[in-house]
Amino acid sequence: MGVATGDYDNDGWMDLYIANYGSNQLWHNNGDGTFTDVTAVAGADDPRWSAGATFADLDRDGWLDLFVLNYVDSSVQNNVRCYAPSSRRDYCGPQAFQPVPSRLLRNRGNGTFEDVSIKSGIGRKAGPGLGVVADDLDGDGWQDLFVANDGSPSFLWLNQKDFTFKEDGLLAGVAVNAAGKPEAGMGIAVGDCDGDGDDDLFITHLTGETNTLYLNQGGGVFEDATARSGLGAPSLPYTGFGTAWIDFDNDGWLDLAAFNGAVNLNGAQWAKGDLFPYAQPDQLFRNQGGCRFVEVGPEAGAAFRTPRVSRGAAFGDVDNDGDTDIVVVDTDSPVRLLVNETGSRRPWLGLRLVGKPAGAKGERDLLGARVEVLRRAAPPLWRRSATDGSYASASDPRVLVGLGDVPEVTEVRVFWPDGAAESFPPPPLRTYTKLLRGTGKTLPPPGAPK
Amino acid sequence: MMGAGLLLTLLLAAPAVGPVRFPDLSGLESAVAAQLGEMQRLLAEQVSASVAAPVKVAGSYGDLGQVYLAYAFNDAAADCFQGASRLDPKDFRWPYLLGAAQQAAGRLDEAVAAFEKALTLSPAPPASGAGNVHLGEIRLLQGRLDDAEAALRKAVAFPPTAAMAHSLLGQVALARRDFHAAAEHLEAALAAVPEASRLHVPLAMAYRGLGDRAKAEEHLAKAGAVGLRAPDPLLDGVASLRVGERVAVMRGRVAAQAGRYRDAAEEFRRALAVRPESVEARVDLGSVLALAGDRSGAMEQLREALRLDPGNVTAHFNLGALLADGGAPEEARAHLEAAVAGRPDDAEARRLLAKVLRDGGQLPAALAQYRRAVELAPGDEAARLGEAETLVRLGRYAEARNRLDEALGLMPGSGLLTHAQARLLAACPERAVRDGERALKLALAVWQAQPSAAHAETVALALAELGRCDEAATWQRTAADRARSESPARLAVLNGALAAYEKGPPCRP
Repeated sequence: MGVATGDYDNDGWMDLYIANYGSNQLWHNNGDGTFTDVTAVAGADDPRWSAGATFADLDRDGWLDLFVLNYVDSSVQNNVRCYAPSSRRDYCGPQAFQPVPSRLLRNRGNGTFEDVSIKSGIGRKAGPGLGVVADDLDGDGWQDLFVANDGSPSFLWLNQKDFTFKEDGLLAGVAVNAAGKPEAGMGIAVGDCDGDGDDDLFITHLTGETNTLYLNQGGGVFEDATARSGLGAPSLPYTGFGTAWIDFDNDGWLDLAAFNGAVNLNGAQWAKGDLFPYAQPDQLFRNQGGCRFVEVGPEAGAAFRTPRVSRGAAFGDVDNDGDTDIVVVDTDSPVRLLVNETGSRRPWLGLRLVGKPAGAKGERDLLGARVEVLRRAAPPLWRRSATDGSYASASDPRVLVGLGDVPEVTEVRVFWPDGAAESFPPPPLRTYTKLLRGTGKTLPPPGAPK
Repeated sequence: MMGAGLLLTLLLAAPAVGPVRFPDLSGLESAVAAQLGEMQRLLAEQVSASVAAPVKVAGSYGDLGQVYLAYAFNDAAADCFQGASRLDPKDFRWPYLLGAAQQAAGRLDEAVAAFEKALTLSPAPPASGAGNVHLGEIRLLQGRLDDAEAALRKAVAFPPTAAMAHSLLGQVALARRDFHAAAEHLEAALAAVPEASRLHVPLAMAYRGLGDRAKAEEHLAKAGAVGLRAPDPLLDGVASLRVGERVAVMRGRVAAQAGRYRDAAEEFRRALAVRPESVEARVDLGSVLALAGDRSGAMEQLREALRLDPGNVTAHFNLGALLADGGAPEEARAHLEAAVAGRPDDAEARRLLAKVLRDGGQLPAALAQYRRAVELAPGDEAARLGEAETLVRLGRYAEARNRLDEALGLMPGSGLLTHAQARLLAACPERAVRDGERALKLALAVWQAQPSAAHAETVALALAELGRCDEAATWQRTAADRARSESPARLAVLNGALAAYEKGPPCRP
């Protein structure tokens, strides 16, 4: 179903976790182009139906912990028949099955994990999870976990700083939409779309529901801003999966991509004899500033005009030219690589945020680091280093910052996932620069990096 | 049944009416396919009989469109309503239903145009009330908040749609971050329809926005899944056009989810009337009858389901649960064993089987089932408790204590497990297992969380174990006082212990 990437053994090589229907797999990167299956020895398996995972340093000890996202208990033994409103046989929704709790594995720092699911609180609440991200969503400097549940209230697991988590989705305003209704959470995009210094959430949903934008008002208080964002109505006919905030035109505002494909059959396509009648167009939205969007997919090329059954989408600068490209997985067709030919026309800054935690053999990407790019006479730009989010996919951990029409960078501040903060002089433009933790000027540790 | 190709030709022959995109009827439930096929045939007949008045033909288009809409064939429905509207442009129903079909298909601009046209043709209630609710809802989705408010202000003036209009106006206000107005509208909606528990969430968000966190939490605690909808004379009728087993099963499940068990039973019976061999409908009927308190009716249905499908795991489980509760442990055991065999990873089924085995004195077998349930669901409090209680009954006290400690390590906030451990440590028959100090600490913690008779009794037990007999007697009096409404036998037990404590040391249980 899904993948997660992270250097769990701090040897400087990104490892791979594969979430499956059935046993999962942790593949150790041997650093020579080969991988070794270390699932059993690491204690990283979960035999249930897992839809994704994320690596995050949840206790600030320098070792990446692992959250395994589980879906529902569905098997041949408990198979049920489901039907479309027309009475035709169709795929079942999550309500047809029992939801399953997710698993939290704490990295012992010796290549193995301890299952702390129940002790941490995570395993005590079952939900049909399809999307997960680790991010400091309440601004206290600790990585929290957000889980998009399919057809049930989503979970916001707030880090209590002792490896326990408190689920606070309802009060935080991210469990259900503005009408109080749970939606079919699939993909998740995390990023600061309104430029106020905290990360906002965008979740993709089912046909007949809107995709939903939750704006962070600070301190982990979110408001459903779908109606005024322009993102609601255009998403209504589609079922969204992969998604991310990407500044595709490098104008300094995070735009949005959503990759769609139905899960309930399209009668018209079915009647035409389509063997896989679930195709829908993908969507690209341009942020006009302040998180107000207009759809530009039809102008963005044939890739966004041709209906397909899209699912996973990973984002990153594949050709290293300074803009975000996209790898899309569609069902029943080859993987697509969408190469961005637009963004690099504008000035940009590329950053790789790395560190060498205690006991590490090599430098690794410090997933969860947040960066604030200060510019002369322009508001700061906030970005994060992460591989998680989207749907069942893992993305480029490097940070790409489009500078728009204000390319004069005065300072780069990095808020590391261990709570430290550092300032770096302006790196060169139009190239990638590695910022190594411990080599910048120390800043006072932030309660909230705002 | 007439073929789609012939029908298309006939419809195209109707003047001024575009073609209808027919749904493919293959794969539909037979009753549904027959209904749609017959409606299509009737329309084709009318179209081909050129003597029919346009208004009548419009009616036939509209009738077919409504049936299509009922089954979510929204494109075909929209085509029919377009046709009806062209043939009879003065009838508000056709643009209104066209609006509904376009809204269901996610074509919001087209839906707005159609509803506005309908409201021009019929500006008075009841059509205007429900129509303005639709317009408000769509405009809210589109982020056109002023337009949404204008439509909803009209709907709020019409009593049947006022509650729904208030709830949507509340959402409009939330979108504007006008929390005061949002709270007012949502309170008005909830006052009109208190059972619409879903509204507590947006209302909580309004109070949170106003800085009243306590009130926000109070409303979140009341939040549920019951939504609100405005009466809509045209669309409410559409839903009733559906026939067949599936729709009845779906309606039944919706009713059951909302706690309307009688309505749910009625729907499942309807499904069985259409298809008596439907095991699914019968299992569901059995389940809701049980929930409604009709145990014998429930068991009858579940037994019949098992006659039709002897391997049905849900029927085995539900019947097993009913029998276990109804004093038929042997029969319950057989069904629960079948449920476990059919679904070996079902922790709940294993836990229930374990309880039946334990109550029947088959302690080792019960323990094995509890252990497996705990393996499958480490956070299952009831299974953890059952396992410890079984160990106690087996005389394996130290093991019970250790397993409870392990469970409490995972679930330190569990009142049930804390209480069980407190009792074991206070009054274990094996004195080496006792630990009065810790028992007292745990017992006081559960008493503080929930000051009940049983919890006071456990504090007394712990104090007695520590030799603090006077204090034990005081707590035991509290327990007896709080247990006044309980059975005489229970009171006798409490008073017996009280007498022992009052005698003074040694008063260890």
